[in-house]
Amino acid sequence: MEPLARILLVEDDPRDVELTMTALGDHNLANEVVIAHDGEEALDYLYRRGKFEFRINQNPAVMLLDLKLPKIDGLEVLEKVKSDEKLKVIPVVVLTSSREERDMVASYKLGVNAYVVKPVDFHEFVNAIKELGVFWAIVNEPPPGSVRKR
Amino acid sequence: MGSKWQLKAPLSAILGYAFALIAVSLALGAALLAEHCNLRHLEFPLLLLPIILIAWYAGPRPAIVAVVLSSLALNYFFEPPFHSFYIAGSALPHWFAFILFGSLIIWFSAVRRRAEQKLRKARDQLELEVVKRTQQASLLNLTYDMIFVRDMDSVITYWNRGAEQLYGFTQQAALGKRSYDLLHTVFPVSRNAIEAEVMRSGRWEGELMHTKADGTKIVVLSRWSLQRDERGRPAAMLEINTDITGRKQREDQIRVLNEELAKRADELAVINKELEAFAYSTSHDLRAPLRHMVGYTELLHKHASRTLDEKGRHYMATILEAAKKMGTLIDDLLAFSRIGRAETRETNVSLEHLVTEVLSEMPTSDGGKIDWKIGKLPEVYGDRSMLKLALVNLISNAIKFSRTRSRPEIAIECVEKKNNRAVVFVKDNGVGFDMKYAHKLFGVFQRLHSTEAFEGTGIGLATVQRIIHRHGGKIWAESAVDNGATFYFSVPTNGS
Repeated sequence: MEPLARILLVEDDPRDVELTMTALGDHNLANEVVIAHDGEEALDYLYRRGKFEFRINQNPAVMLLDLKLPKIDGLEVLEKVKSDEKLKVIPVVVLTSSREERDMVASYKLGVNAYVVKPVDFHEFVNAIKELGVFWAIVNEPPPGSVRKR
Repeated sequence: MGSKWQLKAPLSAILGYAFALIAVSLALGAALLAEHCNLRHLEFPLLLLPIILIAWYAGPRPAIVAVVLSSLALNYFFEPPFHSFYIAGSALPHWFAFILFGSLIIWFSAVRRRAEQKLRKARDQLELEVVKRTQQASLLNLTYDMIFVRDMDSVITYWNRGAEQLYGFTQQAALGKRSYDLLHTVFPVSRNAIEAEVMRSGRWEGELMHTKADGTKIVVLSRWSLQRDERGRPAAMLEINTDITGRKQREDQIRVLNEELAKRADELAVINKELEAFAYSTSHDLRAPLRHMVGYTELLHKHASRTLDEKGRHYMATILEAAKKMGTLIDDLLAFSRIGRAETRETNVSLEHLVTEVLSEMPTSDGGKIDWKIGKLPEVYGDRSMLKLALVNLISNAIKFSRTRSRPEIAIECVEKKNNRAVVFVKDNGVGFDMKYAHKLFGVFQRLHSTEAFEGTGIGLATVQRIIHRHGGKIWAESAVDNGATFYFSVPTNGS
């Protein structure tokens, strides 16, 4: 049985996953996270395909999306999600190492809800993740059809 | 012509009348002598003779005078009653006949003279025309262009000196030959097509290849024009050719060079793309492991700080410090590469405002002891944010390298403003540098001071130089060890 996942984390690097989970664990959000390791898996999850075929038909409250991903990259996932009537309501936060202006511009043009550059400094990183998790998964009221707080 | 006649006319008139008087007198003398010798009836022809001469040589007016004089003389001396101007009825026909003859002579000679004058005039005009034509023909010989005329069978009928010199065929060799046989003409399209075009429009222009007498091939720009006779039938073709072999060769060279240039530009574009990809992956991939190093070190610190001794904690702190420094380096390097790639948004920028803005944003760690001297600064044309970055780097360098002074002085002034260019300097009284290393100043990662003495990544001045170069300006520095440094840069003051 899949846990109720309020946060969909799309991240290919296991170390980044671990650090992110550590940061989220401080606010007991770790068990609300489902991880997709590439763009294809993320789309599978959202469209309930493949190994996610039998999950509950509810959207995550937020998707944390890395840009540089194997198979289907983050911008493609974003484009797909934002052009889908059912999925476009999901808040998407791009969480990336890239400070490149063109990535930022492209993301905003596709309709991203927030763009966060992963800080090198660990404390800043932890703070950023915490704030993101708390805001989108707890403070923010997600659109109808999303996984609700327990 | 007019002035010549104005001077001569009165004189010749007087001479004419004098000539008439003398001739009539001589004829009268001769007639009287003849009568004295009993040679009768000679007075009539003798007196007519001077009239003929006078009419012929002196013109009609003296001739009329001569007629009057001789008729009076005839009446007085030879018509009864003698020695009287009275004239007997029987002598009247004879006398009138004389006058009639005289008048006829004058009339004939006048008509003749007029005809002769007309003829002379026509001849003069013809001569002028010939001179003019000769001049024109020799003008055609002056030009370097090859000019020839050929009839409708392409047989050459005129061949100028330019053609002689450039083609190497003399006029004798060329006249009577068909032009395309003589010059082995290579036409761009078929000759029939060209001739059809000439018949239709009267002219043609194009490039031909000709072979000179010595066998070398030349490319000529050829202009043909068709000459028609008075009934509109094609009569001849004027062909003017300019040797453009040299120009063609240069054009070919330029084209080859352009192609090479385009190739190089393409290569550069590819390299640029690669560099961009490199910078992009640097931005993403280099920072990620760094973040992991820092992250896991922190986690380790949290996890094992109690079991670590002083040395262990020092090692960990050093790892963190080094990783942070690397993070700064990567960020600086990316900012530097972005300057080369970013598009500039150029506007008029007041350097004075910009300097004020930069100073207000500077951290005031100097405790207000710096003696600032900001001169009147010009308005320049450029990308505001880039120029600001350049000023931030220059000013923070000035602050950094003069902070060891008890009384740091920093001056920013404009030294020159002409030809749409302003030269501005930032001067400090800090530690300076040895001019023999000046060439290394603006290199990436080049440092002239140890990190212990003055912190920094060695990218600041490289960034400044890149910004100034992107604005089409120059940057240079003057300094001496322990004697401060002055950084000059030039920037455009308007858009052109």
